[in-house]
Amino acid sequence: MTAATDAPVRPIVTASAWDAPVSLLRLLRIELRRSSVVLILPLVAALFWFDSYRPSTAQQPFWVLRTFWNMGQGHTIIDVGPFVAGMAAWIASRDGRRGTTDLVSTTVRARWTTRLASWAATAIWAVAAYLVFVGVIFGVYAYQGVTGQVPWWWVAVGATAVAAFSAAGFAVGAFFPSRYAAPLAAFGGFLAMVLSAQTGFRDRTGWALVLPTNSNGNYDQQDSGIFYHYLPDLPIARTIFLAGILVACLGLLGLPSGAGRRWSRGATGRWSRRTAAVVTLVGVAVTGTAVGLAATARPSPQGMAIAALHDTANDRPIDYTPVCGTAAQTPVCLNPAYRRYLTDVTAALAPVLTQVAGLPGAPERVTQVAATYDTRGAMTISGSPPVLSIPLGAESSLPGTSGFHEGVTTTTQFGNILRAQFTQAFVGAGINDDNAARQAVAGALLLRAGVPLADLPKLKAIAQEGPGPEIGPATGPVYAAAQRLAALPDTTLHAWLAAHLVALRAGGLTLDQLP
Amino acid sequence: MTAGTRTSPAATEPGAVAYRPVGAGVRLVRLYAVSRRVPVALGLLAAFGALLGTALHYHWSIAGGLAAQLVIPLTIETGAGAVVAVSLHGPFGEPERATGRWLPWLRLGTALALTGTGFGALAVGASAGVLPDGTLALLRNFAGTAGLGLLSAVALGGAFGWVGPMAYLLVTEVALNGHPTTPWVWAARPPHDHGAALCAALVFVAGCLAIALLGPRDAGGNAAPG
Repeated sequence: MTAATDAPVRPIVTASAWDAPVSLLRLLRIELRRSSVVLILPLVAALFWFDSYRPSTAQQPFWVLRTFWNMGQGHTIIDVGPFVAGMAAWIASRDGRRGTTDLVSTTVRARWTTRLASWAATAIWAVAAYLVFVGVIFGVYAYQGVTGQVPWWWVAVGATAVAAFSAAGFAVGAFFPSRYAAPLAAFGGFLAMVLSAQTGFRDRTGWALVLPTNSNGNYDQQDSGIFYHYLPDLPIARTIFLAGILVACLGLLGLPSGAGRRWSRGATGRWSRRTAAVVTLVGVAVTGTAVGLAATARPSPQGMAIAALHDTANDRPIDYTPVCGTAAQTPVCLNPAYRRYLTDVTAALAPVLTQVAGLPGAPERVTQVAATYDTRGAMTISGSPPVLSIPLGAESSLPGTSGFHEGVTTTTQFGNILRAQFTQAFVGAGINDDNAARQAVAGALLLRAGVPLADLPKLKAIAQEGPGPEIGPATGPVYAAAQRLAALPDTTLHAWLAAHLVALRAGGLTLDQLP
Repeated sequence: MTAGTRTSPAATEPGAVAYRPVGAGVRLVRLYAVSRRVPVALGLLAAFGALLGTALHYHWSIAGGLAAQLVIPLTIETGAGAVVAVSLHGPFGEPERATGRWLPWLRLGTALALTGTGFGALAVGASAGVLPDGTLALLRNFAGTAGLGLLSAVALGGAFGWVGPMAYLLVTEVALNGHPTTPWVWAARPPHDHGAALCAALVFVAGCLAIALLGPRDAGGNAAPG
């Protein structure tokens, strides 16, 4: 008895301000070490290579084209997001499946806090894996000499989307703790992305632009990141949208009655649940705000601009020193990103420039201009002295393969397309020109440049870049006149063109007035 | 106590059920089905059927050609296949394997019954609209993905039976954008392609055999009820 009363009293240990964060970090560390997400990462990596990287290699070596499928249309998100949602649902349903919900509710930490730690571990693994996968394929692109600017904003969108998928999947698992939570979260996420793609393909304006699989008006122009910067307006709105979903889902986790309980202090968790409700509402509000911002997007030459998010500094063109060559004594200058096509362009233009040399309106210089989102662009001759402007970025038939159509465009085909565009521009034909005399003269110039007669209808359709009539055979009065003109001696044709070009361009000539 | 004086427990214990082979068999099947959450699976398969019907009726189709229009029905069919696979997840692990001599037949029966029910639900749902590739392709695609899910359950654990079908769906989605010649991507092949049908059937048979003989993998600490 005496011994007991003499024993020293154990001092009360007061918790320091650092204890809570440190213990939370320990909890996070444990969750990180035992996270199931790691198990599926090798499979996701393989799918990432198969679905996101492999198809992109068919594209021309420009960042905007190589990443069109995987970033612009959101396939990196589709490859990672559903798996992450499924695994997050599995992790979140752990306590419910094992029947240990009551047991873990009696621990010192509030239920919401421990769940957030579980989610954070899942999200950290998922986002880190996503960034590593993207980093690897971007590294491969860089090694392959892909030109232009890297679309960093879309990487941010993808990382936020993966985090949002993890939060949404976690919420599904937390509220429906069942073996079916994981497949439902995964396939539900995939279906949401597929439906989002469907809406994205259909809607070119309005709220649907906020969907991360929608490339319309913001990622489908080749000269983004070459002549002008990628406009970050839409990616910022998408990041806000996805962050809002993430926050709302995390807030939902704190709403159930047991979520805020902190057993050691006997608190009811009322404040915690109120906080969770506020967080949920904030998330919903942020999501709604992003949708509203996307609805105000308007097309600009560089892509979709959102007035509330737009920074005019992004409208500045990207400085560059052109690379130049010569075609029929005419300087031809391209953006250095297109350096690999300079020889093909000069070889293509030389035969037609030779024919028109010395004629009124014949270009004295050829320069590449940016293809833009609002007008796309067509080959034009303007100014004094006349300059031929070629928007190569609007050309979907650069030599090589393209993800937009099957087969390979040969250098000859590419050259003929450029010649056709040049002759259309030289005779003053606009989009969907139906002036027979102009078409006959353009056809004659092409025939004299070595283009086969049978190819003329198809080239005309490509050159005019508009929905024209169905391509038919090279027969009829226009093609007959073109063959007649092409057969004239050089000097005769040159003299006739010198005398009649102005009238021809004004549309004042008919087929009967051609020689 | 002699043999002649032994009485059955049913006769001595109040409330005990007399041993009847047929009744015990039915009870075994019922308990097995409940432990595998088969009633929930049936509800989910019906929901997938309704979802397919809604998607076809309201034309939830991707803009583009026939191949692109297949994506949404295929996603729903694959999701249903994943539900079949996840249903085979066993919550009891080693004790059940050690004592349950009917387990292979129960697993096989459950897999076949759920696949049949799932196909029925999807076929009924598809009648609400026009399924791009028809009912034969639906049977092929659903059986193939269910088989893949069963194989996935054997390899990864019943709870992760959805991983294989999901991965296959992503592969198929890419293949739909091209013109695959391999019959192993059966969902991207025409409906009357014999090679594709054979591959899907092979995968389904392999999945059924594997799940019956081997059972879903016991994923250690993750083999929790649910």
